Amino acid sequence: MTIDKTGLTGIDKPNGWQEFWSKEDWWAVWLGLGIVLLAILFYLSGSSISWIAVAPAKWSTISQLASQLSTNAVRYLALLLAFIILFSIVVSFIGQKPGAFIPSFIFVFVLSAIIYFVGNWDQASRYNLEPPLVALILGLIISNIIGMPRWLDAGFRVEFYIKLGIVLLGATLPFTLIIWAGPVAILQASIVSVVTFLVIFFTARRLGLDKRLAAVLGAGGAVCGVSASIAVAGAVRAKKEHPPIAISLVIFWAIIFIFALPLVSRTLHLSTGTGGAWIGTSEFADAAGLAAAQSYGGLADKNLGIAGTADQALASYTLIKVIGRDMWIGIWSFALALIAVTVWERSENNSKVQVGQIWWRFPKFIIGFIVASILTTVIVHGNTLADYNKLVKPALIAPITSLRTWAFTFSFLSIGLTTRFRELANAGIRPFIAFTAGVIVNVILGYILSVIVFGHYWSNIVTH
Amino acid sequence: MKIFNSIQLGNTGPACSDCIHFENDPALIEKNFPGLTVMSSAFASVRDQDGFCNFHQLYLSARDSCPGFVSRNKKNR
Repeated sequence: MTIDKTGLTGIDKPNGWQEFWSKEDWWAVWLGLGIVLLAILFYLSGSSISWIAVAPAKWSTISQLASQLSTNAVRYLALLLAFIILFSIVVSFIGQKPGAFIPSFIFVFVLSAIIYFVGNWDQASRYNLEPPLVALILGLIISNIIGMPRWLDAGFRVEFYIKLGIVLLGATLPFTLIIWAGPVAILQASIVSVVTFLVIFFTARRLGLDKRLAAVLGAGGAVCGVSASIAVAGAVRAKKEHPPIAISLVIFWAIIFIFALPLVSRTLHLSTGTGGAWIGTSEFADAAGLAAAQSYGGLADKNLGIAGTADQALASYTLIKVIGRDMWIGIWSFALALIAVTVWERSENNSKVQVGQIWWRFPKFIIGFIVASILTTVIVHGNTLADYNKLVKPALIAPITSLRTWAFTFSFLSIGLTTRFRELANAGIRPFIAFTAGVIVNVILGYILSVIVFGHYWSNIVTH
Repeated sequence: MKIFNSIQLGNTGPACSDCIHFENDPALIEKNFPGLTVMSSAFASVRDQDGFCNFHQLYLSARDSCPGFVSRNKKNR
């Protein structure tokens, strides 16, 4: 593999405190918690951030749509400007160029607004125009059929947008839910993760693949997709060509599952909580899973025989994926690094494994997710359900939910816009077989645990 | 036990991050791992400071070390 380093400096050496402003995870925490604190301050002073957290309302005719647009045009422009300012600060700090980011982000915002409006058309569900799926398909068409200049990529920060959205999602979930459902999420996710990893790893070894590649593939299928693959690749000293193989396979299956899991869940009439739990257990990447979970949750209240609420799908998904799987990536990396040093490369040198990587690789946005949940839980505590629905929800929760939906839509659209199938590495048949074996076991075991073993539990989670 | 001898709290010796063969600019990693940005990022915490070793042709931690270490400062002298 030849390293392409045109115009790049080569070394990134953040240390100590620099981590706090050089990583997207921390920026998702700062921005997410900043928005939540601002929303709380406005709420406590008897006001709301709802003016700037504008979102389309339901519409049925073109004249209603035009009326909404003309009435709220200034608010949409203000929201765009706020996002540009905040995100430009982020990209400047992490070392990218705002000049390249801004036009690209305007493109993302305009397309996202169109998708958001289409999703609020009262006939949207009749034509299956679920916003996450529309965003993904539109992005895929633009990037793979129409084509785009490469410089536009600067604004397609899938991971940053999804992490920001997850921190904001934390603010809409009661902390008691995380405490109550967290242990079950961890138990369920751990069973599936360990079994899936072992299936992929031993199938890969059986097919004669390198141990490190087997571990990188196993982590991608079992823990948290591409992020787990690159974390484990660094921990076990993978060959340079190993991560792209795992990346291609994760993307391939993750995109199939964005469509397949909601479709199968719908066919089986799973409740939204159960469907979300299954997606959280069996999807690979956070953004892909959220697209599937939000899409499935969107089917609630559509007279399709699907019980539950949209929030239950997102809550059960996030608990399983973020608390049950993502949080443990540092432990996986440490354990596999230890195996690599003590078993796989015993004779090569006297390398040591640093225990600090459990923290260094910890997805820090989870801290923001939990803190946001604690903050709003404390503020909301003491309100009756009637007060919550009448006062708290419209003034505090609804604007945060609106901003969260914007962030998720940016992310879903960016998945499509960055997926260029012809540019992905050719994985090869043996890695494909090994990974696919894990995918099959994962999806079956995920279904059994989410629906049969813990189905009652996930169907009844309380999200307010 | 041998396994405990393989664990350390911090690397006090020469680390890959100071080696002439090591490169870990996030933009470089995103450029060389096609599809990485579709569902992850080189700016994510999970990557820590991992990067490319152009000597061994590996992807590894900046906090790693090996007998092939050549100080970046040595080259600049």
